[in-house]
Amino acid sequence: MSLAMQPQSQDIADLIARCALRDRVAFKTLYERTSAKLFGVVLRILKDRSEAEEAIQEVYIKIWQRADRYVAGGYSPISWLVAVARNHSLDILRARRPVSADIDAALEVPDSGPSPERAAEDSDERGRIEHCLGTLDPERADAVRGAYLDGYSYDELAARYEVPLNTMRTWLRRSLLRLRECLTQ
Amino acid sequence: MSTSDHTGEDEGGRNALVAEYVLGLLDTNEHKRVGRLIEDDPALRGERDFWISRFGALNREYEDTPVPAHLFNAIEARAFGDVIKARGATSFWDSLMVWRGIAAGALAVAVIAVGFHVFQPAPNASTLTTQLVAALEEEGSNVKFVALYDGAGNVRLTALSGEAVPEKDFELWAIQGGNNPVSMGVIPVNERSAVTVPADVMKGLGEGSVLAITLEAKGGSTDGAPHGPIVAKGAVTRI
Repeated sequence: MSLAMQPQSQDIADLIARCALRDRVAFKTLYERTSAKLFGVVLRILKDRSEAEEAIQEVYIKIWQRADRYVAGGYSPISWLVAVARNHSLDILRARRPVSADIDAALEVPDSGPSPERAAEDSDERGRIEHCLGTLDPERADAVRGAYLDGYSYDELAARYEVPLNTMRTWLRRSLLRLRECLTQ
Repeated sequence: MSTSDHTGEDEGGRNALVAEYVLGLLDTNEHKRVGRLIEDDPALRGERDFWISRFGALNREYEDTPVPAHLFNAIEARAFGDVIKARGATSFWDSLMVWRGIAAGALAVAVIAVGFHVFQPAPNASTLTTQLVAALEEEGSNVKFVALYDGAGNVRLTALSGEAVPEKDFELWAIQGGNNPVSMGVIPVNERSAVTVPADVMKGLGEGSVLAITLEAKGGSTDGAPHGPIVAKGAVTRI
């Protein structure tokens, strides 16, 4: 895959850069070009129109304030914008959820093996992630999709697939590891 | 926390945890903790970027939905409310307020940079009095440079951190007073380098000048104006 950005992607990157320099005209253009997509994101995750209308305002305020944090190279500018919208929506949901007590995390491990390749243009990767999701058990692939696209929590996924919370977590972690293996092949 | 009883999962556990973080599956405390670990570790940042990029391929499943028209005015009012009132619509480089703000903020950082002075070639006594230094960095970016003016027409640059980006180059800019940024050329990222200060920059070089590094297309900007994001910046100060 070429690392060269597509023209549209480059335009968005330029607009974000101009926002970092406090160019309000660029902000308006960026909004016109991307707000329908980001509204789709907050609406799908929050599933409430008036909450989504409040959230989309906060998302664009964050984009304006944090435009200087976007560093090209790791992922496409659209992915950065979607990540801001997703994370904001998930923060809202997360704040409402009780803290789960029994989730342990093993991060104090020094090595992670070969580092993944960088992909600057995500759209080329659609076929790839679809292919890799297709290698998983269909229910588990659905759970991964639900976690990404709908922002479902472990509790919600466990209820949805009628399995205990810890089982759900084991499922999903294994699926993510298989997915990673497939995506880095 | 003991990890000895699931050693077989450790490496995978770490990678899966970053994926869980990106998916947003961790609870508030864990999400914050893992977020900090990722910020501090380039390998984990790479892992995070990997997942954002790969899951990003699913973004087209989010359906475009027009935002009610009245919301943009509210957004503008809230976003720009904290900014100094601009004179009408501002064009790209018109709003130099941002640079003045940067200059003020970066002064504190520049003082710390004096410590890095020892890494530089020893200047001779006659140039010492005219030395200027700037520490260039930016929140959210791991690109850090120290710039030292040697009193003889050159700026010596030492990269403290940062990696080259494929198909891109870092470009150094000088911003002085109310003028547009002036390119000082493309700079290498993994080594020391020296840049000859252009004559028009030389005239205004001194405390209050700002140096900034942007990420530009390979070979640098072709029209003399920066286009890419700022990855590092800092105010010039006298030492």
